[in-house]
Amino acid sequence: MNLPGAPPKVSLPGVKNVIAVASGKGGVGKSTVATNLALALSMLGRRVGLLDADIYGPSIPIMMGVDQTFDPNLTQFPLERHGIKLMSIGFLVKPETAMIWRGPMVHKYITVFLTQVSWDQLDYLVIDLPPGTGDAQLTLTQTAPLSGAIIVTTPQDVSLIDARKGLEMFRQVRVPILGIVENMSYFIGDGGKRYEIFRHGGGKKLAQETGVPFLGEIPIDPAIAECGDTGDPIVHKLPDNPVSKTYLTLASAVSAEVAKLGTPGELPTLQL
Amino acid sequence: MPDPVFRPVTLHKDGEERLVIIWSDGHRSQYAWTHLRKECPCAGCREERLQPVDPFRILKPTELAPLKPVALTPVGHYAYKIVWSDGHDSGLFTLEHLRALCQCDDCGQAKK
Repeated sequence: MNLPGAPPKVSLPGVKNVIAVASGKGGVGKSTVATNLALALSMLGRRVGLLDADIYGPSIPIMMGVDQTFDPNLTQFPLERHGIKLMSIGFLVKPETAMIWRGPMVHKYITVFLTQVSWDQLDYLVIDLPPGTGDAQLTLTQTAPLSGAIIVTTPQDVSLIDARKGLEMFRQVRVPILGIVENMSYFIGDGGKRYEIFRHGGGKKLAQETGVPFLGEIPIDPAIAECGDTGDPIVHKLPDNPVSKTYLTLASAVSAEVAKLGTPGELPTLQL
Repeated sequence: MPDPVFRPVTLHKDGEERLVIIWSDGHRSQYAWTHLRKECPCAGCREERLQPVDPFRILKPTELAPLKPVALTPVGHYAYKIVWSDGHDSGLFTLEHLRALCQCDDCGQAKK
């Protein structure tokens, strides 16, 4: 029962772990990481769902190869692609439609996606957050049973500054931080030569400075974008590609961090 | 600054006037409800506290009845929301803030 004035309480009894993939800054590849992480967890034998909470700029439909919209009255959500259960605002509105919504509408739709979508039994529900520390993040931290958050950054300072803000937000709302992922960390060119295009090591340094685990480095590779744009993410399409192997390593690291989490449990209540 | 790992273990009422929180480090905090309302952290109340007192302010009908809490509900893992009998419910008391507002004798001495 919801008490008066309380945020709607979201219960996901069949979902063992809810993981938010966040960043302070946009454009760091958060949706790419969330999607490929979800697929890598699935390849490790876990039952996985992927919720696209980026209401303003949903990327999951194109990345997972769902290039149409659906009538919610005639469609049973979540959809399923590549063995992953999916929900996104992009399944309901056409790609060319701009979502010009204030916070309460964002709150409403994220809550609906959590509560009225039949997620059933999952080991992991991965939530792809929009960038920043705004309404979507607050809604999720206040209503969803988040197990932990992953912070995605790129190596350069301009991204790290905002990643630190995102990390601090999760700390303030007492959501455990599973760790930091450095995306676009390096590029392997012809002949195996390594290029650190956006510098390197910033994610690891931030992890050390803030005392959270460093989960790994994901290289930049044109194949990642090609696979994502054609709706078949690299982990699924090219599982033997070195990039896919870094995602499998990341999935193992995330699983290990989740296993270390104590269950904080809900705060005690008082009936007045 | 209180250690952020402190969590409430139990909450109970001490009569009609007070709230008691037992924390995970064993500390027993007590609060008068009036104190919590006076320290409401919502933007409206913060702003109001910054304004000079208006001696000619006319009370609203809801202010004539004694104020009391109607509900105290957790928000995520980090805060409580108090719903008051006058309908005010926009203050989120983070655990750190609640701990800092403790009115027990020890905390009262420490603040002096």
